[in-house]
Amino acid sequence: MTDAEKIDKAKALLGGRLIESANPALRRVFLTVAPADLRASLEALKTGLDQWFLATITGVDAGDVYEVLYHFGDTAGSITVRTSIPKAAPHLPSICAVIPGAILYERELQDMFGIVVDDIPDPRNLLMPDGWPEGNFPLRKDWTYERPKEIIPGGKA
Amino acid sequence: MKFQIPIGPQHPALKEPISLRMTVEGEVIKDADLRLGYNHRGVEKLAESKSWIQNIYLTERICGICSHSHATCFVQGAEKLLEIEAPRRGVYLRYLVSELERVHSHLLWLGVAGHEAGFDSFFMYTWRDREVVMDILEMISGNRVHYAINTLGGVRRDLDEAQKAKILDGLKILKARSEYYLKIGAGEPTFVGRLAGVGMLSRQQAMDLCTVGPVARASGIARDVRKDDPHAFYDEVEFDVATADTCDVLGRAVVRIKELFESYKIIEFVIRNLPDGPIAVKAPRRAKPGEVVSRYEAPRGENIHYIKSNGSDKPERLKVRAPTLANYAATIEMLRHGFIADIPLIFAAIDPCICCAERTAELVDARTGEERIVRFADLRRLAASRQAHSNKRNVAWPL
Repeated sequence: MTDAEKIDKAKALLGGRLIESANPALRRVFLTVAPADLRASLEALKTGLDQWFLATITGVDAGDVYEVLYHFGDTAGSITVRTSIPKAAPHLPSICAVIPGAILYERELQDMFGIVVDDIPDPRNLLMPDGWPEGNFPLRKDWTYERPKEIIPGGKA
Repeated sequence: MKFQIPIGPQHPALKEPISLRMTVEGEVIKDADLRLGYNHRGVEKLAESKSWIQNIYLTERICGICSHSHATCFVQGAEKLLEIEAPRRGVYLRYLVSELERVHSHLLWLGVAGHEAGFDSFFMYTWRDREVVMDILEMISGNRVHYAINTLGGVRRDLDEAQKAKILDGLKILKARSEYYLKIGAGEPTFVGRLAGVGMLSRQQAMDLCTVGPVARASGIARDVRKDDPHAFYDEVEFDVATADTCDVLGRAVVRIKELFESYKIIEFVIRNLPDGPIAVKAPRRAKPGEVVSRYEAPRGENIHYIKSNGSDKPERLKVRAPTLANYAATIEMLRHGFIADIPLIFAAIDPCICCAERTAELVDARTGEERIVRFADLRRLAASRQAHSNKRNVAWPL
C-alpha cells in the first residue's frame, strides 16, 4: 500500500475527525485528530487499516500545548497519529481498551509530562521512584534538574 | 494460599536490575508485576542539551549489547534533518556492523538460553564462537562494545581487502557452527524438552500487546523493519524473515538461530558488493526545523527514535523506545500460569536489556498475617522508632 492510498483510506475511515494529513517522507504518514476523537479514530484505523501495532507514544512539550504522537508500524511503513492537549488542562483519553499494549507508554507519559491519562487501567509510576516529589515532570521544558546536596550518614555536618 | 515472591532488583538470575513480583500458588505463577526505573538515567532529557554530534555518543551508550542499534537509529534520523546523505560505501559499512552486531547479540542470547536451561556446554560453545565475530568487530572498529563507527554523514573507518578476506574466513567458521546449533536447538531432545511449551504467547496476545522482534516472530507475526520499511540497501539484498509458530521459548530460540543465517547472507552480500568511494560527507552543524521518525531493526526487535529539531545545533526532543520495553507487557502474559523454575528462562527469552526502579517492600505482619506495601522512607522511620524503643540501644557491638 502506497502512502497516498493510506492517506485516502484514512480520510475515508476518519471522515470529519481527520484535521490534517501529511506525508513528509517516503513511508511516513502523519494524521492529526482532536483528543476527544482519539479513541474512536484509533479504533477505526485498527479495524479498517490494520493498525494494531503501536510502536510507542511520544510526548512533546510544544509551548502552550503538549503534542502527543502515537507511532504505528505496519508492513508498508509507519503512520503517526498526532493530537495536542492544552498545558492548562492536560487530559488525554486512555487507548488501552483499543490497544492493550499501550499501557507502559501511557504510564511513561504520566511520569514524564504530568499528562493525566483518563481511565488508565494502571496509574502507578513506571520509571520514577515512589518517593519522587509531586509536581516534578522531567521532560517538561521548564523543569531543570538540581542535584540534591550529598549527605554522608555519620559524616561531618 | 497465595504468596508473593520478589525477584530482583538484585537477583542471581538477572543480569541487570529489574523488579519482578510474582504471586504464586504453590509452584504456579498466578500473576506477575514489573517495576522499572532502577536504571533510568534521563537520557532523553540529557539529549536536549547535547549537540547532534555529541548525541551519537550518548545514544550509543543507551545499551551495552546493541550499542550500534541506537546510534544508527539516531544517525539515520539526524541525517534526514541535517539534509545530508551518507555515501554508498559508508552506508554499506554502517549496516555491515549492524549485521555483525546482530550475530554477536544472538550468539550471546543462545548462550544465556543454554545456561538458563541448564545446558552449560552449549553456553560455552556459543560464547567461544561469539569471539570470532567480536574479533571481526574489533578489527573493523577498534572496539568490542561501543564501536563508535557512526558519524553524521557516514562512518569513521574504512575497510581494506585483507580485512574483507578475514571477515569471509570468520563467516565460514560461524556458518558451520551455527548449523550445529540449529541441529541442537531444534533437535536435541533434552534441550527441546526443556524449552518447548514454556512461556506461551499466542499470536493474538502478541498482536494485542504490540510485541516486537524475535518474540513476535516466534508467535507467527512476520514483521521486520528491514523488510517492511527498508532503509539503506535492505530492499536490494535477498533475505527471509525467520518465523516460528510454536509461540514458546523454543520458537524464540529457533527464530534467532535462523536469523543468524540471514545475517550471514547479508554480510556476504555487503562484502562482495562493497562500492568504492568516500565513506563520509561533511555534516553541517545546524539542522533544519522538522521532525523525523526513525525505525531500525535491532537484534531484539524494532527500535524507534522520534527526533524533533528546532533549527539549532541541538535536538528539541529525542524520544527513544528500545525493543525490550515493547516486550515487557507480553512477558507478564508469558509468566502467568508458568512455574517458578521457568522464570529465568522466560524472562531471558525476550533477551531483556534493562533500563529500569522501585522503592517498595511488602511487609507481612507476623502476628496478624496482614500484608501491606510501605515506602522505603516509612520503613526507615519504622526501623528508627524500633531502634529508639529498643532496650538494646546502648549495647555495644562486640566488633
